[in-house]
Amino acid sequence: MQKAKPIKNPYLPKPFKILDFHRESPGTFTITADMKIKHEPGQFVQVSVPGFGESPISICSYSNKFVKLNVREVGNVTRALSRLKKNETIFIRGPYGKGYPMESLKGNDLVIIGGGCGVAPLKGIMDYLESYRDDYKDILLFLGYRSPDDVIFKREMEEWKRKYQINITVDRNAHGQFCYDAKEGFITDAINSSNLSNENKVVFVCGPPIMMKYVVEILKQKGFHDDQIFISAERLMYCALGVCCHCMIRGKFTCIDGPVFRYDEIKDFRND
Amino acid sequence: MRVLRLEKKRLAEFLGRVTNSYMLIAPVKTDLVRFEVIKNVDDIYLEKNSYFPIKEYFFRKEETLFKFDGKKFAVPKIEAPHRVFFGIRKCDLNGIERQDIVYMKQVQDPYYIAARKNSFLIGYHCNEAPSPYCFCGSLELHDHFDLMFYDRQEHFLIEIGSEKGLFLSNKFKECFELSNQSISSEEKIIKNADRLENKDISHLYDNPDWKKGVDICLSCAACTALCPTCYCSEIHDTVSTKDPSQSERKRSWSSCQVQDFTKVAGDHVFRKEREQRFKHRIYHQLEYFKDKNGIDLCVGCGRCIEACPTRIDFVEIINDMNKDAKSKTN
Repeated sequence: MQKAKPIKNPYLPKPFKILDFHRESPGTFTITADMKIKHEPGQFVQVSVPGFGESPISICSYSNKFVKLNVREVGNVTRALSRLKKNETIFIRGPYGKGYPMESLKGNDLVIIGGGCGVAPLKGIMDYLESYRDDYKDILLFLGYRSPDDVIFKREMEEWKRKYQINITVDRNAHGQFCYDAKEGFITDAINSSNLSNENKVVFVCGPPIMMKYVVEILKQKGFHDDQIFISAERLMYCALGVCCHCMIRGKFTCIDGPVFRYDEIKDFRND
Repeated sequence: MRVLRLEKKRLAEFLGRVTNSYMLIAPVKTDLVRFEVIKNVDDIYLEKNSYFPIKEYFFRKEETLFKFDGKKFAVPKIEAPHRVFFGIRKCDLNGIERQDIVYMKQVQDPYYIAARKNSFLIGYHCNEAPSPYCFCGSLELHDHFDLMFYDRQEHFLIEIGSEKGLFLSNKFKECFELSNQSISSEEKIIKNADRLENKDISHLYDNPDWKKGVDICLSCAACTALCPTCYCSEIHDTVSTKDPSQSERKRSWSSCQVQDFTKVAGDHVFRKEREQRFKHRIYHQLEYFKDKNGIDLCVGCGRCIEACPTRIDFVEIINDMNKDAKSKTN
C-alpha cells in the first residue's frame, strides 16, 4: 500500500470537522463543515461516508470560512450522513460544477423559486446577497413545501421575511394552522396569481423535475424568455469530473457544464 | 517515413524475443478470440478480430480507487508492468485513443495512466474488414500506434508511429530489415468497411424510426460492455464483513442501456424508455463526444451489433432513416 496522495488523485476526498449539525425538518438536516474554499453559489461537493458511498450535495451557503450542506435522507449515504454529529469528521471533495452567474446578472430584479429541498442551492444566492445586495434590485421569493413539517431554513426565513418579498406555500396543511405565513396550495398557483412581469428580471428555479416543468411553463406564459430563467438540474452522479457519464443531458454534463443551466441551454431535454 | 520489413517466418522469433523482456499480450482463440498473456507465441491468432476489445487492460472492469481503514484513505499501489500488446486492430487502437482523451486529458486518472504508461501498442492492419459488421471506413480513424504491422503475404511491412515504437524497433533491430517500400494512404484503407453511409445524425433526433432499434432490445448491455470506446463507470463502496470499519471504494463499468443509469433519489428515472437510452448511446458515439472533443467516439468495430443477442443493427437503422429522409425531400 502506498500513502495517499490527495492532490494527484481526483477521487480522494479530504476530511473536515463538522462545526454544526442542525435538524431542519424530520427528513432533512444541515451540516456545517470546516471547509474553507472559494466557490460560487449553486456549486456542489461530493460528500463521502466510507463504506456507504458518495453523494453530490449542493452548497447552501456562501462563505470562505465554512460550507453548509443541506441533506435530505433518501438513500444509504444520506441516511449515514444523518448519524454524524458535531465535532466528528465528514469527507468531502470539490467544489464542482458551474454555479449561478451572479456577476453577469447585476442590476436585475431576482426572482427565486424553490420547491422542497430545491431551496437548498438557492439559499446559496440568499447568502451571497448578504455581501452583494446593492448589486441587484428587488428580490422576490417563492418557496413551496409539501407540508409545514417540510419547511427548511426556518431560522433564516425570519431574516428573509424582513428583507425581501416572500411567498410561502404548502401543498397540504394537515395541521390546520400554520406559523410561517404560508398559504395552502401549490407554488405554481402562487406564481400564477402574482403580478410577476419579465421586466429586468432573472429567475432561479430549483425543485423536483415536475415542479420545475410547470413553473417554467407559467413563467413562459408570463412573458419570460428562456435566457431569463436559470434552473439547477439534478442527475445521478458518481465522478463529478465529467467522465462517468451518468449525469449527461444530451451532450452536456450536469457535473461540469451545470448543475446550473440557463434554460435555453437545455430546454426540452427533460427526458434525455 | 521509415518502414521496416519482417519475414513472416521470423515473426515467432521476434515475439519470442519480446516475451524475454516484456509481458506479451495478444489475441488467442479459445472459446472466443480474446487478448491474453502469451506463454507460447504459437497460440497467437490473427485470423479474426478479438471478440472482446482491448480496453479492459487499461480501463479495468473493476478498479479499487482506495481503501479506508476507519481513519485514513490509502490508494493501492498501481501495478504497471511493462507490457507489449500485439495484434491490435485499427479500431481498437483508435478506441484506446478515445479513452486516452477521457482518462488522460479530460481527467488525470492515475489508475488509467499507470496502466497505459508502460504499454507498447503494436497494431495488425486489416487488409479487409474481418467481420461483416465492420464499418470503420465510415468514420475518422487515426494512426494511433507504436508499431503497425501490414500483412503482405510473405512478409510484414512495419510502420513506426511513435517514440516508443522507435525504441522497440531499435531494441529488436536484429529481427527487422530496412525496407525501401512505403505505405501509401490508399493501402491504409480497409476494404468493405464503409457500411454507414452518412454518420451525420443531427437531423434524425426526432425520427420515429429509432423505435425500430429497440422493440427487440433486451437491455442486456452487451453492446456497451464490448464497445472499445464506451467509458462510463459507476463508483460503489464495499465493506469488509469481518470488520465493518474497513471499506473499499471501487469503480466499475456501467451501461447507459439499463434503466438505473439515470435513477436519482426518489426513484425518478430520466431515460426510462429503451428508445431514449438507445438514442442516447448512438448520439454519444456519433455526436456528443465529437462536439466536445472534435472526434467521433465510435470507431466502427461493429462489436455492439455482432454481440447483440437480437442483432440490433444501428448502422442499418441510420441508413434506412437517411434513405427515407432523402426520398421524402426528393
